[in-house]
Amino acid sequence: MSRVAIVGGGIFRGDRFRYENAEEGVAIAFRDLLEDTPELDPQDIEFVMMSYFSDHLNQQLCMGWIIQDYLGLHRKPGYRVESGGSTPLDAIINAYYLIKSGYYDLILVPGWEWMSEVDTATTNEFIASASDTDWDFTVGGYYNGYYACLETRHMQLYGETVEDLGRIAVKNHNNATHNPYSQWRSEHGTEYITLDDYYTDRIVAWPYRRMNCAVISEGACCLLMASEEIARKYSDTPMWFEGVGLGTDSMRPGDRLADWPYRGVYPEDEKRYPENVKKPKTPYPDMANFGSLREGAVTAYKEAGIKTPVREIDLAEIFAPYDGVELVLYEDLMFCKRGEGKIMIREGIVERSGELPCQTSGGLTAFAHPVGATSLMQSLVLYWQLSGRIPEKFGDKTLQVPDAEKALTTGHGGTGCQGGVIVYSR
Amino acid sequence: MKDEKIKVIKDESTPIYKEWETWARKGNFRVEGYQFVRAPCGPGKIEDAKMGEFMLVNRPHGALYTHSYGLVSKFFQGLIDKKLYGTRCPKCGTSYCPPRMHCWNPVCRVAETEWVELPLKGMVHTFSVMLFSADAFLEMLPFVLAYVQVEGSDTTVPMQVVTAPTNVFVGQKVEIKFRDRRMGELMDMYAVPVEGQKIPKDSCLNNPEYLKDLERDLQGTYAYLEKRFGLKKEDIEKRWKK
Repeated sequence: MSRVAIVGGGIFRGDRFRYENAEEGVAIAFRDLLEDTPELDPQDIEFVMMSYFSDHLNQQLCMGWIIQDYLGLHRKPGYRVESGGSTPLDAIINAYYLIKSGYYDLILVPGWEWMSEVDTATTNEFIASASDTDWDFTVGGYYNGYYACLETRHMQLYGETVEDLGRIAVKNHNNATHNPYSQWRSEHGTEYITLDDYYTDRIVAWPYRRMNCAVISEGACCLLMASEEIARKYSDTPMWFEGVGLGTDSMRPGDRLADWPYRGVYPEDEKRYPENVKKPKTPYPDMANFGSLREGAVTAYKEAGIKTPVREIDLAEIFAPYDGVELVLYEDLMFCKRGEGKIMIREGIVERSGELPCQTSGGLTAFAHPVGATSLMQSLVLYWQLSGRIPEKFGDKTLQVPDAEKALTTGHGGTGCQGGVIVYSR
Repeated sequence: MKDEKIKVIKDESTPIYKEWETWARKGNFRVEGYQFVRAPCGPGKIEDAKMGEFMLVNRPHGALYTHSYGLVSKFFQGLIDKKLYGTRCPKCGTSYCPPRMHCWNPVCRVAETEWVELPLKGMVHTFSVMLFSADAFLEMLPFVLAYVQVEGSDTTVPMQVVTAPTNVFVGQKVEIKFRDRRMGELMDMYAVPVEGQKIPKDSCLNNPEYLKDLERDLQGTYAYLEKRFGLKKEDIEKRWKK
């Protein structure tokens, strides 16, 4: 079977308000891709795999049709993929499956989200309608609240501190100051922040402060994906797919105490449940870890032949809408054992100078988070990283991870209801 | 089956249908206002942005949904009657609250579950102190959102815990209470901590620095509520029984 590669990308920078509308933003990202990929004739694109999350936010169903039409790609086959926050990663993986299976050789993956047409509280409410609206949303929950509850549980079981969450926030925001496409830099400039700044930041849902939470953005990104046969026509530095994996977990996080499909699947993690806490029927993932991401990682690592991720992977762009998710995923992605996520940040392993830098882009809390475009943007940064083009693209070499060969990215929907992992190589 | 037509048994809907009639007319995609703005735009990096002019329109859209709770309707009817129900799988014995009418344990092959009445007691499995929320719940702020494991259930149900936000902890025993106004939704019930419990030393929130910051930001939330809704702190504390 053919290998699959990302051979180009373009971006329409995400920010709190962008007043070009979605199709114009996608078109600008597509033009950016075309300028970067002079060999691409739009007529050669065989399939358009579209990625956007919400129909509520813009009073528009079937926006994918508008996008294909606006780009002049409406004769081509195409469809939209949607799975909450996992939408963009699943779109990439869908395109991967189609190329891998031999159906198509060249696929365009446009992703976008316009999230500020309603006020912030309403945006939160619309997004929260991706949670169970009979059972989770009705008690005043929304994603900040659900994720804060999940992080509280992990914190109680494994003892990370607010300072650990602060260190992750400081790392990601300071990385973003070197990224000229980041929302943090657009809003706050290029000055570094410290833990003291973090402590003065307002708590929105304890233990999370504003800085720990993903931003609301409007933005777009396009990726070009190709089979091995034609990849080098478009790029001298294709980024290859080494392995992909998907996973799911229960809709309601509160049900993960009797999460039968996970029983006995990860015995090591079950054993690492603290002795002094009442054990639920299924101790992994409980409301602390993310089984869907573990499933994705296991599958992706198997396909990629990865045995010790922390040594073999050179950098990661994790889809972490909250900083606790990043910390917990160090564990579920098997960078360390369950309960040791805090060590990864305390010892600086995930800092940009560390053994496995995570979120050189700034991640969802500082780069930007226009949902349907997010994983495309993170993969685009990895494409630039693996080809050594960060200095050229960012006008600043600080974030370039030298000689990186393998990179990882993840997708994450709902409260970890849906997860996915991709391992790339140069 | 003799009585084969859909028949309304109890109707608390008519007033809200009438009230929403006007809303549906307002929320008709009709443009109700507009603005012109100058804003940064265009391709590239932050410093490449140019200023452009845009027209923005205000276009409301409202809707009233009539939604069935399906086979677990009994649970919500129970809330109106001040009773708490869960379900139990006769094959594997898993108890569910929230209830599900079919067991999700794959070995049970989608077995039908049985209703059980549950005691109004539980334990906080995990929690968050909410200082901001979605539109629908802004006036409830600040509140403790917790996932509570009801005694006899193997899963947890989210509910608000009515207590000083700095008092809650994982493992806290709670009693479940019902509000006076009950509509058949999870908000009909809430939890209060069982009296006389000490906050454990190892509670993850039990740290003087964390509590100080939380107090500081709680004051911010009270100020926001007063400014936006004219709600005084005392009123906020009284609202629960209603």
